[in-house]
Amino acid sequence: MSITVTKPIRAVPGAFSGLGQRWRHVDKSSWVWLLAIALLLLLVINPLLRLLVVSFQDANGAFTFANYVSAYSRVRHLEALGNSLLLGVSAATLCVAFGVPMAWALSRTDMPCKGLVWVAILGTFIIPPYLGAVGWILLAGPNAGWLNRLFIALTGAGSGPFNIYSMTGLVMVVACYSFPYMFVFVKSALDMISSEMEEAANILGAGGLRTSLSITLPLVLPAILGAFILVFLEAIALFGSPALLALPGRFHVVTTQLWQFFEFPPRVGVAAAYAMPLLGITVLLFWLQRRITSRKGYVALTGKGGERRMIALGRWKWALLAYCMAVCTLSFFMPMVVICQAALAKAWGRGFSFDNLTLQNLYFTIFENELTRTATLHTFVYAGTASLVAIGLALCIAYIVNRQLVGNRVGNVLAFLTMAPFVIPGIVLAIGFYAAYTQPPLLLYGTSWILILAFVTRFLPIAYSNSNAAIRSIHPELEDAVRILGGTRFTAIRQVVMPLLKRSLAGAFILVFIPATRELSTAIFLYSINTQVLSVLLFDKSDEGNFEMLASIGLVLVFITVALVLIGFRLMGRDFMLRRSPT
Amino acid sequence: MTRPNFHPCAALLAILLAAGSAAAHADMPAWEKELYDAAKKEKEFTVYTAHYSTEEAANLCNAFEKKYPGVKCNFVRTTAQVAFQRLQQDMQSKQAVATIFSSTDVSHYPELKKRGALMQYQPHNLVNMVDSLKQYNDKDGYYDVTAAALMTICYNSSLVSEKDAPKNWTDLLDPKWKGKVSIGHPAFSGYVGTWVVLMQKLYGWSYFEKLEKNQPQIGRSVNDTVTMLNAKERWVAAGPEATTLLSRDKGNPLAVLYPTDGSLLMVSPSAILKNAPSPNAGKLYMEFMMSKDAAEVQVKSHALAVVKGVAPAPGAKPLEQIKVVRPTEEEIAKGIPEVKEKFRDTFGV
Repeated sequence: MSITVTKPIRAVPGAFSGLGQRWRHVDKSSWVWLLAIALLLLLVINPLLRLLVVSFQDANGAFTFANYVSAYSRVRHLEALGNSLLLGVSAATLCVAFGVPMAWALSRTDMPCKGLVWVAILGTFIIPPYLGAVGWILLAGPNAGWLNRLFIALTGAGSGPFNIYSMTGLVMVVACYSFPYMFVFVKSALDMISSEMEEAANILGAGGLRTSLSITLPLVLPAILGAFILVFLEAIALFGSPALLALPGRFHVVTTQLWQFFEFPPRVGVAAAYAMPLLGITVLLFWLQRRITSRKGYVALTGKGGERRMIALGRWKWALLAYCMAVCTLSFFMPMVVICQAALAKAWGRGFSFDNLTLQNLYFTIFENELTRTATLHTFVYAGTASLVAIGLALCIAYIVNRQLVGNRVGNVLAFLTMAPFVIPGIVLAIGFYAAYTQPPLLLYGTSWILILAFVTRFLPIAYSNSNAAIRSIHPELEDAVRILGGTRFTAIRQVVMPLLKRSLAGAFILVFIPATRELSTAIFLYSINTQVLSVLLFDKSDEGNFEMLASIGLVLVFITVALVLIGFRLMGRDFMLRRSPT
Repeated sequence: MTRPNFHPCAALLAILLAAGSAAAHADMPAWEKELYDAAKKEKEFTVYTAHYSTEEAANLCNAFEKKYPGVKCNFVRTTAQVAFQRLQQDMQSKQAVATIFSSTDVSHYPELKKRGALMQYQPHNLVNMVDSLKQYNDKDGYYDVTAAALMTICYNSSLVSEKDAPKNWTDLLDPKWKGKVSIGHPAFSGYVGTWVVLMQKLYGWSYFEKLEKNQPQIGRSVNDTVTMLNAKERWVAAGPEATTLLSRDKGNPLAVLYPTDGSLLMVSPSAILKNAPSPNAGKLYMEFMMSKDAAEVQVKSHALAVVKGVAPAPGAKPLEQIKVVRPTEEEIAKGIPEVKEKFRDTFGV
């Protein structure tokens, strides 16, 4: 990759007073960094601090430890915590198995049908997890699941082998809807690595497999670890799928337990206290990540040119394609069949039959129901704005931390703060937001900004992990070159860093935009009459047992989002495979 | 360009409609006219409601706006606990958003009344209310029942014939339903909580110990049972009459059966908030909820009418022909926290 710095370097004007001299030497960019840090404090510290305060308050606002006592003195509550940890670790591990080979296949190999796989992954990511979970209940319900019935019909056995109402089932469903994080993270890391290092290994006699395992894989380790943490945190903060699958499976996780604290009389303090150790776990994970990655260098993008060549897999490409399709079948194609059946059915309980087909649900959703229409518009506008703000902020913070503009310790704190919002379950975080943004000086309640800021805060961790991995892979020597030649830091960022990051940023945008379109737990407490969003409508439909409408809205959401993402990439001058556009 | 054609009939219709609404306006008793005029000055009001589905809440608001043009009815429809949490947040931040609070969790009201958050109002239309429901209104006039529904035995009619279906609550304990029963969770649903209290009152806790032997599937909300029956994952359920019938109306193979030992009556009050931004519109809304106009909207989605003389939608029995039971308010308030714990001991979740 070759970088040309085109901007002419400014000549330094001559005579200046002493103050002017000093002013000239101050790095002007520091104002931007200070602003970014201030924004971070506002968005993250403010709600989290209020949450911490609430966890030590009784109903009258007096100081107490009672919340912690009621949160942790029951074995049941601890069991739920244990279940959540098990769920998080298992789901994240399964995501590695699902996502890493697919990312490698799409980024580095000559596997066919890449477009189809990519669209299926995108679609998977868009399906709200609880809709996917309902789809899986129909597929693998122990009594009437289609897969079980198929198994019985084929083997003549008395009962089918699949039971979605189990920890295994829950792990599978959560992994299905979280592996796109892993995929996008790893793929954007792989996209940055030039083939030179792999070729060097090849020249030294290493085979394809050995090269991939000992050269390529270690280079994307930070991305894998980042996504692992993200999926782990997402899995323990999820409410929809556990509520559908864990309760019938007769076990609790943190979020189902947490929901009970909001039953009358609501115990917000206890809920806040119960969510606190999750913050501890986040700290621990970050410490581990740093331990593992700190001693090695992962810089893949330096000033020297490099070319990426696709690895020819020969016959193995079909095996790899089969694997990718198998994962997509689990996560997208099979549940999509169920969702389409329900969306197109007059009465989905009647199953497949021609007289049961109708377009009425879709027609009603798209054309007749004004609520759905405005909610759709809001959803995309808010999610889009939130993604842009989150990525801008995350980039600034990641840059500050990685280029050590503020010192190592402050950098660590900043990194932690950026990731912290993800681990606080949305329902609890919403309480913090509410407390933070309904009092002067920030009276945002009832406006769309409270939702946008909530989405920014909630998905800042995703934007950050992505930006962080991207910036880590760029060697500072590129910017140093600009600075040595007299360019400012801004010039370096604008002319060197940003062009290199474009592709990762496109990935980051998808990763923030899509979860923001389906975000429910904060939205449900923060939306108001004029700021309805689709996720809340979807939740209402599931609460009302109206599966035909639920599926229709879900289907519309999937179609519009896929279309928007594809159009977006076209407009950005790259194809939807995120391949480099010819220059 | 063609000129728009006004059909003479349309014009006539418009005149008739205008005359009709003017007549309706003229028909209003003095108190109603007074409230309406005051409400018009307030322009709009907001209802926090957990009572209905989104569509029904919208239909009720539309019916209100049709009856009282010039007063805009907004609603935030969500679950009872979310509605309560939002109201609490509003109160903490001293923001008055909602005028009406309509929860399905009856324990919210005594608490709000105690805190002085509710406005006292005796609707004139209270006389229209079904007599058996009047006992659930607040005796001091702080809240009144505006919605009622039943919890019944529901089943998938493509798997279970009417003859074989359970006839009363204890039939669900029959070993022939092993692995085929669906219920909700008392910690997630006020309906289920009240139902568990009722079963304990009628048959003692051993009812649930026996039920556990039948390995029921435990969902979250009471409406989850509808999904489970439709999916054929389960055959019979302790479920909601209205949601089940609504799903059946679309053609799903579902049916409800009124247990001989009594369907559980769920009553849901509404209250005007003391700091209501539009108090007169709030009062007018309470009057409206006890009028036939509102009841006719409600019965369309299989909710029970709270006013006399409104026939239920086809497929549902009229309230006076059904044996209904309900624990006392005290039993419910005291019982729900207690049965949540016991439920967890027995079922493990």
